[in-house]
Amino acid sequence: MSSKIEAPRPRSIDRSKLSYVSPSAPKDREVPKPRLIDRSDVEYIRPVLTVLEKNVHSPVTPGVVHFPQFKITPTLEKAANKRIAQYPDDQRRSAVLPLLHEVQHRHGFISPESIEWVAEKLGIAAIKVVEVVTFYPGFRQKAPGKLHFRVCRTLSCAMGGSYELMGKLCELTGIDRGSADTHKDPISVSPCGSYSVEYAECLASCGTAPVCLVNDDFHEGVTPEKAESLITQYES
Amino acid sequence: MSDITYLPGKEPHENEHRLIFKNVDRKGWDPKIRTYLAEGGYEMAMKALKMKPQEVIDEVKASGLRGRGGAGFPTGIKWGFIPPNNTKPVYLICNCDESEPGTFKDRYIVHQDPHQLIEGMVISAYAVGAHVAYIYIREEFPEAAIILEKAIADAKKNGFLGKDIQGSGFDLEIYVHRGAAAYICGEETGLIESLEGKRPYPRIKPPYFPAAIGLYMAPTIVNNVESLCHVVHILRMGGEEYIKLGTPRNSGTRIVCVSGDVKNPGYFEIEVGKVTFQELLYDMCGGPKDGRTLKAVIPGGSSSKILRCNETFQIGRGDDAEEMTFWQLPLDFDTLAAAGSMAGSGGVIVMDDTRRMSWILNNITHFYAHESCGQCTPCREGSTWMKKVSDRIEDGKATPSDVQVLEDIAYQIDGKTVCAFGEASAWPVEAMIDKFRDELVGETSDDNDTRSAERIAQEQFLSSVPQ
Repeated sequence: MSSKIEAPRPRSIDRSKLSYVSPSAPKDREVPKPRLIDRSDVEYIRPVLTVLEKNVHSPVTPGVVHFPQFKITPTLEKAANKRIAQYPDDQRRSAVLPLLHEVQHRHGFISPESIEWVAEKLGIAAIKVVEVVTFYPGFRQKAPGKLHFRVCRTLSCAMGGSYELMGKLCELTGIDRGSADTHKDPISVSPCGSYSVEYAECLASCGTAPVCLVNDDFHEGVTPEKAESLITQYES
Repeated sequence: MSDITYLPGKEPHENEHRLIFKNVDRKGWDPKIRTYLAEGGYEMAMKALKMKPQEVIDEVKASGLRGRGGAGFPTGIKWGFIPPNNTKPVYLICNCDESEPGTFKDRYIVHQDPHQLIEGMVISAYAVGAHVAYIYIREEFPEAAIILEKAIADAKKNGFLGKDIQGSGFDLEIYVHRGAAAYICGEETGLIESLEGKRPYPRIKPPYFPAAIGLYMAPTIVNNVESLCHVVHILRMGGEEYIKLGTPRNSGTRIVCVSGDVKNPGYFEIEVGKVTFQELLYDMCGGPKDGRTLKAVIPGGSSSKILRCNETFQIGRGDDAEEMTFWQLPLDFDTLAAAGSMAGSGGVIVMDDTRRMSWILNNITHFYAHESCGQCTPCREGSTWMKKVSDRIEDGKATPSDVQVLEDIAYQIDGKTVCAFGEASAWPVEAMIDKFRDELVGETSDDNDTRSAERIAQEQFLSSVPQ
């Protein structure tokens, strides 16, 4: 008995016996003509806000919102034009992030109206702005409090006690983080609307852990004991 | 340079060799251009503009500078990848999206010495022929973005940026572009996509590296902040002199950021490969806190593989092989790679014996699950699964087989994604299970129910219904 098993050989096909079907269609059949629509009298409807509102969270914030409503002002226009000028003329889309930052800085969060404005400003579809807003954790679709705390939760800070810091901040401001989710709903706002907290991923100051950002100010070595003085420092 | 004094308590350790961080924490130093010019600032940029671009590239190649962002790729060689017959504009991007957990060097450069970075960018842009450069800075550095914009305006006012820099005929504009808190933007093609105003989904490479097709489909060079700053010092010292710093193939100095359970965490600029872990963690950082012993160290940002402090390694091959304990390992690119980890971005995270490894693992998996961009399925799903399994281990609800499940998921991600994020999320898990399997298994129990809460409720309901 031979222990060798022969590998099956590929079957050779005698191609001369194959009859190929001609790819050309028989001449007697009529080729359907493409229908042309006369678009000259079609009235285009500008995308209305309601469509966008379905895709973007509407700002549900308890208490008082501390930021002015979104409004197109000359200063905003000027700041936006300066940002757009940073990029080549045919690459205006690059200014999406800077423009959204300008909006968020002034109005606290990205509202559907502001998305419309950014899209129009850059000459792109609104959905292209929406996809950017929903991707980046740096853009909020919900108004934060007057004081927005971003506590670093990554390894070095966590070892330094940032979970405890977050607990202490919530306790002092009366925030319930029960339903908070780092992905879907990262921001928790206090019942009075003055404070909000959020976990941030690595704020790049691991040597002075735990660290946190309060609005745009950076604070190092904020141990849970210092939470109270951190809040009172801003209240005076 | 003996006249330099530092702020009390911030003096550099004697093992340090400060080039980049020379002015960090220095007494009487501020980020103004006047201060920088008084110290001979922008002289190297002027020197470079009198050279030929190829001479600058050759100088950087001769220095053997390896990128300080994480991958350790030689900077001069990267610059040489621009196609010679290129007709499109070339872009230079400074990657200041420092988000690797454990790394905090760029923060100090940008906050305290922004002109050093701008000078490095002028030289690098001249070498690669770029007339527009962007600094991609992470959203979490709002103050740094303002400092940089101010510094750029000052440099422009003094004629070191803009049209016809100091009569050399070379034009350069630098712009600051703020990111929006996404870790994946630190990956160079993800960064380019983000700069184009899209979601930062990394691009497939090879075949086209950014140096061939990058920003706006034009050749683009992306360099880390620290690498760009080194270029200034390479020109000052000359490539031949610079390569003498450090060890062969690992030249220059690098900033090591130590955080975690040591007495004096912080940043140290050392010659690459001249300092061992013993010297770093005991002499420079003061050792473990009182009454504790060191257990494990992550040597190069949280993506690198963890090392046990009581391990021994075989470094080198064949007859040159040498047995080294963890404490004898020098901090350089090649030795750490031989030890099965990587030097990465230089973020050393130290853990002592009070730390539970399941807790550390849980924190790391949460980070990667949050930061996965979602482009590739193995990473998007896998990072979330790893988070869920590690949650179960941390909560004490896992069975011993869960550790195996976790390891299997990690190996399914590793090497199967577009960018290196897949490896970055899988390696820490693989290494943690490899080195601390007994400890992780010890936190599980055979008695635990493997069914989910929904499953249990369903089964209870079904058993209560009469058949």
